[in-house]
Order: sequence, then C-alpha cells, then structure tokens
Amino acid sequence: MERTKLIASTRRKPKKRVRLAKSRARPLTAAPQLEPGAPSDLDLMQGIQAGDSEALSQLYDRYNGILKALILRVIHNEAEADDLLQEIFMEIWNQAKNFSAQKGKPLGWMVTLARRRAIDGLRKKQAYQRAEERLKNETEQQPDAWVHNATEEEIVLSDTRSLIRKVIRGLPPPQQQAIDLAFFKGMSQREIAAKTNTPLGTVKTRLELGLKKIYDGLKELKDEL
Amino acid sequence: MNFSKFQNQARLYVIGALEAEELEEFEKARTKFGKKGEEFITKCYALHEAFALSLRPAKSSAAIKERLMAMVREKKES
Repeated sequence: MERTKLIASTRRKPKKRVRLAKSRARPLTAAPQLEPGAPSDLDLMQGIQAGDSEALSQLYDRYNGILKALILRVIHNEAEADDLLQEIFMEIWNQAKNFSAQKGKPLGWMVTLARRRAIDGLRKKQAYQRAEERLKNETEQQPDAWVHNATEEEIVLSDTRSLIRKVIRGLPPPQQQAIDLAFFKGMSQREIAAKTNTPLGTVKTRLELGLKKIYDGLKELKDEL
Repeated sequence: MNFSKFQNQARLYVIGALEAEELEEFEKARTKFGKKGEEFITKCYALHEAFALSLRPAKSSAAIKERLMAMVREKKES
C-alpha cells in the first residue's frame, strides 16, 4: 500500500531544479525502491535546500508512513503523532540547510530528527507517566512486540524491509526489548535496568550484542542486495 | 579504549544509550581515533534508518499534508 503511494508520488513530473536520480553505490540500508527516473532522496533534499516546496511534497509522500510509525512507536497517540509529523516535516523544511550528504543519508537524518522530536514530545507533554504505564503493560505482556510475524501487508513490502525485520526478529527477545526501550523510548541503560528489573551490566551486554548483530546483519544485507 | 570497544560504544552512542561516565570516555576515544572514528559513527547512523524501516508504515490523513504545505507556502511568502 505504501509502495503504491510511493510509486504514485514519484510519477509526478519533478521540477527542473530536482535532478533525476543517478545510479549510485548501494547504501548500508536501502530506502524503498524508486521508479526509474524518480528523484533520489538526496535530489529531493537538495530541492528543499533550494526552497522547492514540490520536493518537500514528494519527500512527504515517500516517508510520512515510516516517520509516523516511528513517532507512534514512541508516543502511542494517533492525534499527537499527526501533529508531530506535521511539525517534523516543517522542521525538515526549516532545517534542510543543516543537512550534509557527507554526514549521512536523508532518511537517516530525518529519522534522527523525528526520533528526537518524538521523545522530546513524549516528555514535554507529560504523557510520560501514561506511556510508562502502557509500556509496563507491554513489557509484561508482550516483550518482543517490536517486529511482528509477516502479514499479507508485509509480504508486499520491499525485500529490504523484510530482511531488516528478519535480522531484528533473529535477536533474542531480551536484546530486542533493550534496544526497543533505548531507541524508541529514549531510555538510558539505568532506566532500562530498572524497568526490566535486570542488572545494569546485563542491559549493557544485551544492547552491545543486539546492536552489533543488527549492524553486522545490515552489512550482510548490503552484500545480498 | 581500543577500536573494537569504540565500535561497541559508537553503536550505543548513536541511539543515545551511553551513560554520562561512558560518554566522557567515548568522546576522548573519538578524538583519539579521529577520521576513522567519525567514519564509523556515520555508518552507525544506518541503525536509525533500519529501526524506522523495521516498523509497519502508519497512515496519516490528507489534512496533515495540506496543512503542512499551506504553512510552507505561507513561510515562503513572508
């Protein structure tokens, strides 16, 4: 479904200042595959830096689903997630000048920005207590609910996403849980230790091992694609 | 800190999971490893993308995009 939206968005005729995509070396993780001739993420970021609102429109169509999923994973509130999504894309528009391709890819930059805003939002709106309560329930009832078993919807997703999920699903549930709490909830090692009633050293080991496995899995994924 | 430990710490750093005392040690090692260290940290940010791509995309209403583009138009005109 997301792919359909993506294809529809990339069929629009890009404005002149948005250059066509060039073939490039495959990055460590691949964004959803684009139609031939569609502007790359970098082209769109350069368009935004030049003040082209159509480039922002295309970037929104391409990634709003992914960024909203990330925000929802942090704050668990549909209305707040929509508000934050809008604020984040506005920040992308305002802060695009700070993006440097030498420091990473556009999606990574956007995800970093979105995650920070979502975690800030979680704390600022004093929803933390409520989220903690929900998190406590999730932790007790469904500790490995980060990635789910493949559904019909997932099957039509790109191979890249499926493979990333496979790498994460391959981790022992305690490692998944530690990374989930650190990345999506912004928790420190000590907070994770307290939340999961686990020794601090064990939390650290789980994070280190889990992140290394994912990192190594991504390197292998790059080789496979 | 050797480079292998630096790599482990870098992966924790990019997800904001280093404790304050570890962060201090990490920053020293970062200076020590220079360009090699910075390149590795940059690579670690791919984890952010991977975590986002691991989630099932969520739908948002068309009104969000309309509001966003209206704000952008307004900003451009001001």
